[in-house]
Amino acid sequence: MIGAALTIARVKFVLEIRRREVIFAMLLFLAATIVIVRVALSGDTGAGTRAAAGMLWAAVVFTAVLGLLRTFAAEHEGGVIDALLLAPIDRASIWLGTALAQFGFLTAIELVAVPVWWALFFQGGGPSVGTVVIALLLANVGIALVGTLSAALALGARTRDVLLPVLVLPLLLPVVLGGVTATYGAFGEEVGGLRPLGFLALYDLVFLALAWGTSEHLLGD
Amino acid sequence: MQPPVITLAECSKRFGERLALRKATLMVAAGETVVVLGPNGAGKSTLLRLVAGLLRPTAGSARIGDVEAIAAPKEVRAGLAYAGHQPQLYRGLTARENIDLHLRLHQATADTGALLERVGLADRADERIDGFSRGMLQRLALARATAHDPVLLLLDEPASGLDADGRALLDATLRAGIGSRTQLVASHDHDLAERLGVRAIQLANGGLA
Repeated sequence: MIGAALTIARVKFVLEIRRREVIFAMLLFLAATIVIVRVALSGDTGAGTRAAAGMLWAAVVFTAVLGLLRTFAAEHEGGVIDALLLAPIDRASIWLGTALAQFGFLTAIELVAVPVWWALFFQGGGPSVGTVVIALLLANVGIALVGTLSAALALGARTRDVLLPVLVLPLLLPVVLGGVTATYGAFGEEVGGLRPLGFLALYDLVFLALAWGTSEHLLGD
Repeated sequence: MQPPVITLAECSKRFGERLALRKATLMVAAGETVVVLGPNGAGKSTLLRLVAGLLRPTAGSARIGDVEAIAAPKEVRAGLAYAGHQPQLYRGLTARENIDLHLRLHQATADTGALLERVGLADRADERIDGFSRGMLQRLALARATAHDPVLLLLDEPASGLDADGRALLDATLRAGIGSRTQLVASHDHDLAERLGVRAIQLANGGLA
């Protein structure tokens, strides 16, 4: 199963490198959001820290949704999904491979955009790098798992482009909550220590189990 | 007598208000080739997708061997190939990469170069297929469908977009499979069954005539 998932993830990366359909748009969106919010908040020095943490997580989630809209686009195009469904592999591996690719895309974008966020908002000091990085990685796992599951649910719907954000945004609310709380904590504020990271890890485990158990049926008829 | 490989029993499929297939009953024996004829909208594609397990019957059953097609386990899917209206190929990959991916997912080994040579695409093997014509995609889809040497081959209007050479290649592929694998082919070509010397059935308005 892992082998098939890695094969599918590899194909998604190859397609993205060749076509640049998802990562480039997501990167531009995330970077533009960070810059626009920085400009919008330029007169308000007092709200900087909390606003910066909140805007990062909101921007990450909306950027992820932008990418998730293209989750199964390559498989939908040309009917590839039929070939994958009929291949003698666990159907969960189609979901897992796609989630791995989503995780990779989001992480790659953050590698570029988060340093920009840092440079624009925290010229001196800033939150603990380690905590923010761990929170982002845990959040990326959750977003990829939940997003791919939701995309699979919306796959057969004619209105999937509208349906997907409606499905996925409420499910990602805990990610925003955990991420923002972890980032506040990374400034040294007493907001629960490592508990937000534990919350994000628990979220990932719950949705990993849920998606694993349901993907066989979700990706069928 | 060998049990049938494909069994449709009073199988119906409804999409909303529209009844696409009406109480179809069909048995196809191991090694048999059957051509499904019928006009556009007669239900040929629905019938093939039900047999492939890509659709769940609204009523009745569609079975491969002794299992419901919709719940076919990996072992059954390993011996199945379905080529539908769409080529089921990644547009951003090359012809070779598409075949290699198919073989990897089926844990099968075959000479990709020879497969592409057989369908006349050896010289385009390393080109991305988003520049391929409809006929070239159809040839590649045929190579993909037969790459893992399936025991059950389902082809939905495989001649569409093919030139004369392509149609000859298709006939040769089907002829080579007669007796050795079960083949169900939806087609508009009324002469196909006669050329191959196999059984033909007629679908009209969602029902088998």
